[in-house]
Amino acid sequence: MESNGGVSSMVLETVPAAEQKRKFEPLTAHEMSGGNVQYRKVLVPPHRYTPLKKAWMEIYTPIYDQMKIDIRMNLKGRRVELKTRSDTPEVGNLQKCADFVQAFMLGFDAIDAIALLRMDELYVESFEVEDVKRLRGEHLSRAIGRLSGKGGKTKFAIENATKTRIVIADRKIHILGSFVNIKVARDSLCSLILGSPAGKVYSKLRAVTSRLAERF
Amino acid sequence: MASPRGGGGLKALQQLRSAEPPQWLSPSTELAEAARAASDHLFSSLRPFCPKSPFDRLLIEGFDAEQIWQQIETQMQPLVSGLRRDLKWFERNPEEIREGFGGRRVVEEERKDLEGDEELEEQEELGFDDDDDDDGEDDEEEEEERGGGGIEDRFLKIKELEEYMEDDEAREYGGSKRKHRGGGGGGEEEEEDEDEDIEGLGDSGSEEDDMNARYEDFFGGEKDKGSKNKQKLRKESKDLDDYEDMLNEDSNEDDESENGSDEGLTGDDASLGQLEEGTLSTHEKHLKKQRLKIEQMEKANLEPKTWTMQGEVTAAKRPKNSALEVDLDFEHNVRPAPVITEEVTTSLENLIKSRILDVHFDDVQRLPSLPSKGPKEKKELDENKSKKGLAEIYEEEYEQKTGLVSAPLSFSDEQKKEASLLFKRICLKLDALSHFHFTPKPIVEDMSVKANIPALAMEEIAPMAISDAAMLAPEEVFAGVGDFKDEGELTQAERKRRRASKKRSKKKKFKADTIKRMEMKARNNTINNGKGEEES
Repeated sequence: MESNGGVSSMVLETVPAAEQKRKFEPLTAHEMSGGNVQYRKVLVPPHRYTPLKKAWMEIYTPIYDQMKIDIRMNLKGRRVELKTRSDTPEVGNLQKCADFVQAFMLGFDAIDAIALLRMDELYVESFEVEDVKRLRGEHLSRAIGRLSGKGGKTKFAIENATKTRIVIADRKIHILGSFVNIKVARDSLCSLILGSPAGKVYSKLRAVTSRLAERF
Repeated sequence: MASPRGGGGLKALQQLRSAEPPQWLSPSTELAEAARAASDHLFSSLRPFCPKSPFDRLLIEGFDAEQIWQQIETQMQPLVSGLRRDLKWFERNPEEIREGFGGRRVVEEERKDLEGDEELEEQEELGFDDDDDDDGEDDEEEEEERGGGGIEDRFLKIKELEEYMEDDEAREYGGSKRKHRGGGGGGEEEEEDEDEDIEGLGDSGSEEDDMNARYEDFFGGEKDKGSKNKQKLRKESKDLDDYEDMLNEDSNEDDESENGSDEGLTGDDASLGQLEEGTLSTHEKHLKKQRLKIEQMEKANLEPKTWTMQGEVTAAKRPKNSALEVDLDFEHNVRPAPVITEEVTTSLENLIKSRILDVHFDDVQRLPSLPSKGPKEKKELDENKSKKGLAEIYEEEYEQKTGLVSAPLSFSDEQKKEASLLFKRICLKLDALSHFHFTPKPIVEDMSVKANIPALAMEEIAPMAISDAAMLAPEEVFAGVGDFKDEGELTQAERKRRRASKKRSKKKKFKADTIKRMEMKARNNTINNGKGEEES
């Protein structure tokens, strides 16, 4: 180092630039945030408390081991708290984990929500039945029934056809999937809310999904 | 000729009177002769009172009943109207009657005569009614109707009407002041009938007069005009071109032609004067006729045409609702509705029957769809909850996209897949059983455990029999033994040991063999013995 420095001090103009440059490694997430630890917390609704307990290990393992994010359950506050570690590889890992946990809280299964961790382009869209059409009383109940179908078959049909996951929680509807698929699923659900029969929705679904499949 | 005729006439009248009613039903020449004679007599007797009449005597010989009647009519018309006028006058001035009855006034006498004649005339009229055809009756009726209905405004004077009404009222309510009542009020006829019956003993004629009441009775219209109108009307009804040759007709025509305009001359004197000018020749008459016609046509041309004759007429230019009264002719673009008759219905029914028998119906047949493409493979929507997680689905999608894993065989149905799999398995087993030529398993991209068969064995055309030795690996063959030594490497003790073990094994073997041999022998002996016993 001294010889170099000596050489450089002796002959300043003639040293090549390649030797001058030092190669740096990319910053870790920890360093990027200036050494600060980042937190996320996700509230647990009462009806997801028990399922969380059951599926805790499925949630914990990928987050802790693969995403390298600290996760803990605050029982008193009924919260799941996430924290970055020093060796968290990506900046966005924390947010992904938070989304994953949030998706679980909305009602999705752990195995379905895990897709959020693995793929970047998946989103969760939520809307209410009232956003589509103002329904009251029996009409509302009937619309919700129409959405699910007998034994949930209509919902599953849409899920399978569009490669999405749908959660119908009373009046709220959550859809998990890629952008295009969410759109198709949303259109089908909206047409069901507006009153079209399931058969019609099926035929439309078939047409759209076949077209989508052809494209790729 | 009058007197003998007169005597005959009276006799004839008597005869007519005495004739029974049924006799009149059938035509008899005797009665006809009598009637003619009677009429002739009456005619001549009345002749002095009709100065205007063109006939001196009634022309009977060779004349038709119609013609005779016409002659009588021409005489009677002016006479009757004059009498009526006089009656009216009498009504207004009842004192005159008394004076007439009491006094010796000529007028009264004449009037009386007239009255008497009137009676006769009435009877005559009745007689002729019986004698002549119904035409005569019709004629009279026509005249009466026309006379009663023809209202002319100039005659209807309000003042006279009022006077008349007052007189009538006085008559009705004021009691029987007057003896003689002429053609009384038509409206009060019914009420006056009683009075008439009581008073009018000799008024049989007046009763009849009431029945034949006419316009002139009420308003004392122009006799001449009335008579002219009546003549005109009579002409119209009788198609009078045939009678032009007759003098009576000619004279009447002259009167009319000279008084062609509506403003007829009043009074009998004017008509009489014209007649006296002289008859015109045929040519002149013809010319007059034509001139008249020409005048009429020119007059019509000068006037504006009726709206029906004008070209295009809007609703504003014609009177209200006038189009309803006219028969408009225009083209109908619609076919007129068919008239349903029995024939039509029977024809329809026959057609229906024949169609049914032929089984020839005009049913609409669906067009056969063109077989352009084969039936598309419809992707069934799986209605069950998917067993794979979402992540796995996307994983597969990604793999397919990038080409890491080839796409699986596309089957439409799960059950089909299962069925094909089962069949392949069965086929494999059957092939294996049937011959030694082994067909290898189909390449199915499954993560299934492969059978531990060396590849060589699979491809080799060799019998199925496989020795265990081939299956085991070299080390597995010597699984139990420790380290091996060659014969040269062996120590003496080891050599001895090997030899001893060999001997031991051989001994064992020998012993086993001998035991077997002995058993075989024993078995054979027993069999032989058995056989020998059987033989012996």
